Amino acid sequence: MPDYKSVTISKGRGGWGGPLTITPTADRPLIYSVTGGGIHPVAAKIAELTGGEAFDGFKSSAPFDKIAVAVIDCGGTARVGVYPMKKVMTVDVHATSPSGPLASFIKEDIFVSGVGVSDVVEK
Amino acid sequence: MTAPEVTVEEQVLYSSTVTKVGEQVGMFVGDHGILVLFGADSPAELHDFSALHEPTVASAGPRPGDVVELGGTRIPVLAVGAVVEANLVNLGHIDFKANGATEADMPGDCNLPVGTLVLPQPGDTFRILRPAGPVATPEDAP
Repeated sequence: MPDYKSVTISKGRGGWGGPLTITPTADRPLIYSVTGGGIHPVAAKIAELTGGEAFDGFKSSAPFDKIAVAVIDCGGTARVGVYPMKKVMTVDVHATSPSGPLASFIKEDIFVSGVGVSDVVEK
Repeated sequence: MTAPEVTVEEQVLYSSTVTKVGEQVGMFVGDHGILVLFGADSPAELHDFSALHEPTVASAGPRPGDVVELGGTRIPVLAVGAVVEANLVNLGHIDFKANGATEADMPGDCNLPVGTLVLPQPGDTFRILRPAGPVATPEDAP
């Protein structure tokens, strides 16, 4: 069984929410990248530090209850609320604040934005 | 019935066909003036509130002064956020907001005049068109 580690993810410049502590488990191993152009560097860094499994959401789909954290590059309307609505920890690489029809689901303890690679650190 | 007359030649930057319209799309359009599009290969959790489509031309995103054509309705583009083009070209994703804003609040917004959005139907054409001549901007209006 893999030995998972924790990371702390803080908001970046102009960002909102967090910090979040992410610890994958055997039941929730996936670092789910729902971003353009494959696995985002932020998702790759989280996977590297935690031992979680980087997963490209645009290549295949995964059940929500397998996802340790979703990494999105959402510009503020759609993806920004979907994963918080499903109680999935969410990291937006863009500096967005709660907005859009799903804004009520976006809370500081489940969402952090404006995140760059340097905002992901070992806990 | 004839097609609307096109007075200047237009460049087709993006051309696509709507394949599926999620259950919540009507609520997003009707209650919020927001229409979300995603490419048909997007993750399933995004499908409820999205119109899915399959592009055949995906060369660029819109800029102010371009025209969005959706199901035969032509809508002028007022403002475009910084990540709209990357979203559209890479993921087939765009968030249209019919709020009349002339500056995008969020980086993923493409703003349209209030009340201009239509509820797309499967089979509808979605295109982004750019006038060949100088682009008219709101500041040019008298």
